[in-house]
Amino acid sequence: MRRALVLLALALWPATAAAQSSQFGVRGLGMPGRPLSTRDFSLGGGFGLFDGESGLNPAALGRVTALGASFASLQDFRHVENPAGSNSLRETRFPYFSIAGPLRRYPAVLGVSFANYTSRDFTLASADTVLLRDVLVPVSDTFSSRGGLSELRFAGAYRIQDAWVIGGSFHVITGSARLRFRRVFADTTYEAATQSSELSYAGVGVSLGVIRNFGPGFSMAAMVRSDGHVNVDRDSSRVGTVDLPYSFGLGLRWRARPKLELASQVLMKTWSGANSDLLSQGGTGSDNTVEVSLGAEFTPNLRRPTRRPLRLGIRYGTLPFLLVPGEQPSEFGISAGTGIRFAQDRAGVDVGLEHVWRSAGAFSERAFLLNLGVTVRP
Amino acid sequence: MSRLLRWAAAAAVGAAIITACQERLTSPAQCPELCPGGSAQVFDTIMPAVAGLDSSFPAAKDAATGGYVARGGGVALLLSSDGFAASQDRAIYRFAPRSDQVLVRDTARSYTVDSAQINLTIVARDTLVGGLRLYLYRLPSSVDSTASFETIDPLLVDANLIDSIVVPDSVHRGTVSAKVIGTDLSRIALVGADSTLAIGLRMAAVTPTGVRVGSLVGTNASTFISYVTANVPDTATAILHPALTRATAFNTFVTLNPIVPVDSLVTVGSEPSNRGLLRFALSSQFLDSATIVRATLELTPVQPIIGLPDDPSILRTLAVVADLGAKSPITTDVTFIRDDTLPPVQSDTLRVDITRIVHLWQSTRSRPQSVSLRMVPEAATFGRAVFFSTRSHGPDPSVLVAPRLRITYQRAFPFENP
Repeated sequence: MRRALVLLALALWPATAAAQSSQFGVRGLGMPGRPLSTRDFSLGGGFGLFDGESGLNPAALGRVTALGASFASLQDFRHVENPAGSNSLRETRFPYFSIAGPLRRYPAVLGVSFANYTSRDFTLASADTVLLRDVLVPVSDTFSSRGGLSELRFAGAYRIQDAWVIGGSFHVITGSARLRFRRVFADTTYEAATQSSELSYAGVGVSLGVIRNFGPGFSMAAMVRSDGHVNVDRDSSRVGTVDLPYSFGLGLRWRARPKLELASQVLMKTWSGANSDLLSQGGTGSDNTVEVSLGAEFTPNLRRPTRRPLRLGIRYGTLPFLLVPGEQPSEFGISAGTGIRFAQDRAGVDVGLEHVWRSAGAFSERAFLLNLGVTVRP
Repeated sequence: MSRLLRWAAAAAVGAAIITACQERLTSPAQCPELCPGGSAQVFDTIMPAVAGLDSSFPAAKDAATGGYVARGGGVALLLSSDGFAASQDRAIYRFAPRSDQVLVRDTARSYTVDSAQINLTIVARDTLVGGLRLYLYRLPSSVDSTASFETIDPLLVDANLIDSIVVPDSVHRGTVSAKVIGTDLSRIALVGADSTLAIGLRMAAVTPTGVRVGSLVGTNASTFISYVTANVPDTATAILHPALTRATAFNTFVTLNPIVPVDSLVTVGSEPSNRGLLRFALSSQFLDSATIVRATLELTPVQPIIGLPDDPSILRTLAVVADLGAKSPITTDVTFIRDDTLPPVQSDTLRVDITRIVHLWQSTRSRPQSVSLRMVPEAATFGRAVFFSTRSHGPDPSVLVAPRLRITYQRAFPFENP
């Protein structure tokens, strides 16, 4: 009954899964998402390849010991600056949820997760003057997009004794972006013009992962993933394909002290494969990305390790889609968070806060990201 | 303290969640970096009416007998002084017959007229022109719709003058009256079998101008009231003083040099009223692909359209439901009816915004790309329009004077893939 309730809750959870928006997600496929649990979000993503509740490494599912589901919501308080001006923005999204549980009598774990792949949520306002009927008429343009790409992941992990865990996953990449352009004329004898279009995306990907435990205090993880390409339809007509990246990840986890655990990872994605596709469709291209993360989790009470641990993280990464040719955006973030489990560890709440700086030339933004996660173990 | 901190933290998180739920995503955009797809291009084009299919009804040969609203059938009658640029008009009323006896106790009794009053309603006047004076003349009771300016105006002479009404400058509209008493009653006396009074109006003012006066259709036509004394000798109260009111039975006005429709031009208004019908042929390709932000119907008048200051005429443009020529049904949806108020003198090209009507053509291809033109109020305004058509040309043949649509539109926005 409880499981049924959980599944019902999952079905009722908002179907939109989107990460934080950014002006650096205006071009190309959007702002890449990070399929991280709230715990790993607080750790800067440094534990992502080892976290069974995150969606980076299918082998990490091997750490899941009981059926559980986790949800995350993300509040974004952002300040954007570019040569056209600045503005403070905010939004709420649901970037990630997952459900996973072990198989009986087998050292295996299966899981399903739904995560944001790229986010194309933005509204851009600009002003111009056009010559109409021999008169200069000021106009205000608004270009907006809602949607993006999401991925549905079916994953499994298998434990080989205690030392090795291997995993694999299959990703269904889908989504849509509803684009809308609206022009309002200062001369009201001209009617406002609204035009809209809808882009839809479809693709699949696979990934393989492995974790090698060198005793209880040290582990290594690796992941490789191929997403093939995504088909792009505009208003139900095929307009092209875009190559999606190969992803490579390598992570280390080290329990430095009984109360202190450290982890770091490097993720590389070959987004340059999409460059030619984007350029051929009039875009500004893309480039490979690298993300380096470091996280530390301090457990005050070893008897109750899930009660208010202190999590800290730091990360630096590059972003794939260029605003200005030859000038790749980058982001830097520091994060902190904690969490609590209750009801005999059957339920828990995690919270994480990250301050992010992103920039590329004259374009910059900074944001506070508040991630709130709920975990349920029926 | 730690409990207080916990509550404070929980409250902060709650507040953050609540405020974050108010989505605000609009940021300034620097183009071309933040303008995927570029910017929208706006174009302007002129599309003439379909050649030979722009017309006005009734046609010239039917003008004498046809028309949508007959002269005198409008909501007002025109009256103007000599020299008024729009036209010279005289108004005519014929009242219902007045019997020479009144019925008292089932017995017809003779009476004598003590006094009389003729009421007129001023619907509109040029409020900037003072010294308005209305002159009432007696006309033959046989006056009817065949009357013309040439037959009526010679009758408006002192010999037939009943009275005049000085209209104060402060009276812009409403009822004014002429009272006839004493020996002047002979001017409206009904003698013998002729029991009908008909009057003609002319006017004067400081400068040439016009007024519009009430009509039968406007339910404010003139009234003729006779105050009489009936002699009833077989009663104690031997004398009765009834008032005999006679309403207007017929009204019209006559115009010097009325507009005669010409088939090669598009006549709108006048009396009897004409309506224009313009047809266009925008291609399906254009209607499918363009986002029309403004569509203006441009009409070039053959001669200035002169109206009465402070009492403007209205050119009404209506979408046509089905193109059946003169009897085309027109829309009743106010969304697709455009009223444009004309200035006192319209000598330049007339521009009427019909964006909504063109949007209708875009959304419903079964609708004919036609518009109907009429002057409002029909047959009751000084504004009479005659426009060039596709069958005529202006003084400079190189200048397009035919009815035309000027359309400002955007092509489909080049949304960037992906």
